[in-house]
Amino acid sequence: MTFKSLLDIDCGIRFMYDRLPLSSSSARTMLLESRAMTSKREIDLRYGKLNSLYNKECREIASKLTCLKDISNTIGRLGAGAVLDDIELFEIKYLATVSRDVAELMQKKRISVVNLPDLGDVMKILDPDSLNIPSFYIYDSYSSELAAVRKRMKALTGLGDRIPDENQARELAGLQQKNDELEEGVRRELSLKLSDKAGKLGHTLKNLSLLDIMIASVAQMKEMGLCFPAVVENGETFYKGMFNPAVKEAVEQKGGRYVQVDISFSRLPVTVVGANMGGKSVVLKSLALNQILAQFGLGIAAQTCCVSIVDKILFCIGDDQNAEKGISSFAAEMLAVNEVVEGVSRGENMLALLDEPARATNPIEGTALVEGLLDVLQHAAGSTILATHYNIVNRNVKRYRVAGLKEGKMDYSLIETESGDVPHEAIAIAQQLGVNKEWIESTKKYLN
Amino acid sequence: MPFIKEILKCDSLSIVGLEKNVGKTECLNYILLRLPLHEIKVAVTSIGIDGESKDQVTGTKKPEIYLREGMLFSTAETFYRRKKLVSEVVDIMNERSSLGRVVTGKVEIGGKIMLSGPSSTPSLKRWVSSVKELGAGLTIIDGAISRLSLASPAVSKAMILSTGAAFSSNLGTLVGKTAYVVELINLPAVGESLSERLDLIESGVWGVDRYGNLFDFGLKSSLASGVVQMEIPSGTEYVYSAGALTDTLVKKIANSGKVENITLVVRDFTKIFVDMLLYRNFVHRGGRIEVLQKSRLLAVCVNPVAPNGFVLDSDLLCEKLRETTGFAVYDIVKNRYDL
Repeated sequence: MTFKSLLDIDCGIRFMYDRLPLSSSSARTMLLESRAMTSKREIDLRYGKLNSLYNKECREIASKLTCLKDISNTIGRLGAGAVLDDIELFEIKYLATVSRDVAELMQKKRISVVNLPDLGDVMKILDPDSLNIPSFYIYDSYSSELAAVRKRMKALTGLGDRIPDENQARELAGLQQKNDELEEGVRRELSLKLSDKAGKLGHTLKNLSLLDIMIASVAQMKEMGLCFPAVVENGETFYKGMFNPAVKEAVEQKGGRYVQVDISFSRLPVTVVGANMGGKSVVLKSLALNQILAQFGLGIAAQTCCVSIVDKILFCIGDDQNAEKGISSFAAEMLAVNEVVEGVSRGENMLALLDEPARATNPIEGTALVEGLLDVLQHAAGSTILATHYNIVNRNVKRYRVAGLKEGKMDYSLIETESGDVPHEAIAIAQQLGVNKEWIESTKKYLN
Repeated sequence: MPFIKEILKCDSLSIVGLEKNVGKTECLNYILLRLPLHEIKVAVTSIGIDGESKDQVTGTKKPEIYLREGMLFSTAETFYRRKKLVSEVVDIMNERSSLGRVVTGKVEIGGKIMLSGPSSTPSLKRWVSSVKELGAGLTIIDGAISRLSLASPAVSKAMILSTGAAFSSNLGTLVGKTAYVVELINLPAVGESLSERLDLIESGVWGVDRYGNLFDFGLKSSLASGVVQMEIPSGTEYVYSAGALTDTLVKKIANSGKVENITLVVRDFTKIFVDMLLYRNFVHRGGRIEVLQKSRLLAVCVNPVAPNGFVLDSDLLCEKLRETTGFAVYDIVKNRYDL
């Protein structure tokens, strides 16, 4: 599970990624390529670091990190023994100066979340005159022969405000060639001297990128009111005041009020029933989102929570019309849900989130399919949460119900219940939507 | 030393050739050789490929760009590696082209180089601000053929126009066509308060009535088919086309019966895509075009030699152009102005 592969899950993770105030493209690449953490130790360590950053003022460091460039190719070439050109040597020197400046700032602010190797030896090689500037060229001090050639060149070009005559031009061309040869020799020497520093430079680039990700995460936590999770491995998950930032923003932009929900579950499958437009899908989306956030060490969209680590997240929305493969929405869904079942039978620890499975067929068989699924999932190593409109009688499930319509207004909060009865609010909601009255009256006749 | 003093009064300059081989690079070298570098830090770049020793299309010999000690320059990685001068890498921009990233260097010992820098208006703007941060007091952009839009005052305030026999080998046509471009560059600017209001509009065709009220004609641009049916209310004083100005819109105004009362407004001269004869006719009937941002034309440089060997009379060409445009005109190669 790389972060990039999860970005297309329609749960609001892209929204979080877009809003993550990363400073450098190098951090962006690192985050996209990173894999979900699956050990409690690793995740705890990351949140511990975020926690220690939480009350620090990091703006200066973040601003410095905007200068960070992804030079992993150059570092790779250096390690492989290639002779670097001026541009690449500049990149190395530039990384060393950024790292030095960031290290200074970190020390000043007493931040120690990443370890930045001392690159003093790299600077010494690339800044022979101790000018302390990031720019670079093959300095005269690298070779006395080079210095002599250049001295002659300077004498010939003077102020440079006259085009050299033919003789001068010929001599200059010869000198330029000599200069280029000598420069290349110096580059070879420098690259050789630097080659055993490639590991250290790679480490620096990685840790600066990681620092950027962590500073951005903390900024996002404060900006969006996200929380640190407690991380467990026993399957016990709970969220208090869970929300979905993308949906919350959309609701609030329309002047609405977003209702946070509480939910807890373990290995026992969970069903969520409730009226249409009651927010069942949003609950599933928020669960998927927060599981991803937790396993990448980012802030969680809840007031408090405890998240159990999984190896895999399966989010099945169910209305996936797989026209390209030429199969119906029902067939596509059955195959997707089957993936969950197969995974469970292999003993995989996964979080499966199913939005109204078997909705696209007749309610009698549909209900039976869901009941059967819940039976099969009893012994799952992970957790399953499914939203449904069917009356599920299966005893071995935990049940939630959306509070539903109260005096004509939707209450989106989740209530734990014992009975499998589904609310009958479809007609009331259709009425609220303003559908044809004759149709509604006629429908009511059939219900009675 | 013609026009060097004028250049020093500006902080940004672009050199634009009306055709390939009109002596633009010579003009650039002329300027670069004569700028007093102890007074001002100069940064140079070029749009697209330039500074090649041979013309890529016609195979004619082209002068290389000669840079002096202390100058800043920006070019593609590929060309930086082939430089024939000694320089220091000071920055690598995020802009990418087929020739690699754009590298900014500082000349340590003067010499020749091929320049190929940023190639879009936003990236040129970023370039200008990045070299200003490095201390450049004057930015010079070598414009490419048919890329007049990049010489827009949004990027550089002053410009030098380069024209010559390669543009047209008929003296009359050459003078006429060049004079037309000069006329567009010199279009007057609208009043400041109106300019500030119109500057915020990014697309569409808008009107301003005599009370200063702004209204939208509901068109996406002056390219839209609706221009033909457009109703211009009486009392309209200005019609502003936020994007390109086309023949259709000019004809519409010319035939509206209100041509004398309406001023057409465009962002800058590079947005005008109007046929020369149509424009002349429009002006003749009392039409007016004004711009939000005005370019400052410093000089016109000519090259009387065309790549096919055809040569125009340099003195006559300069004289005719001077007469028609009212601008200083120079043949830099022939006259070898002293330092």
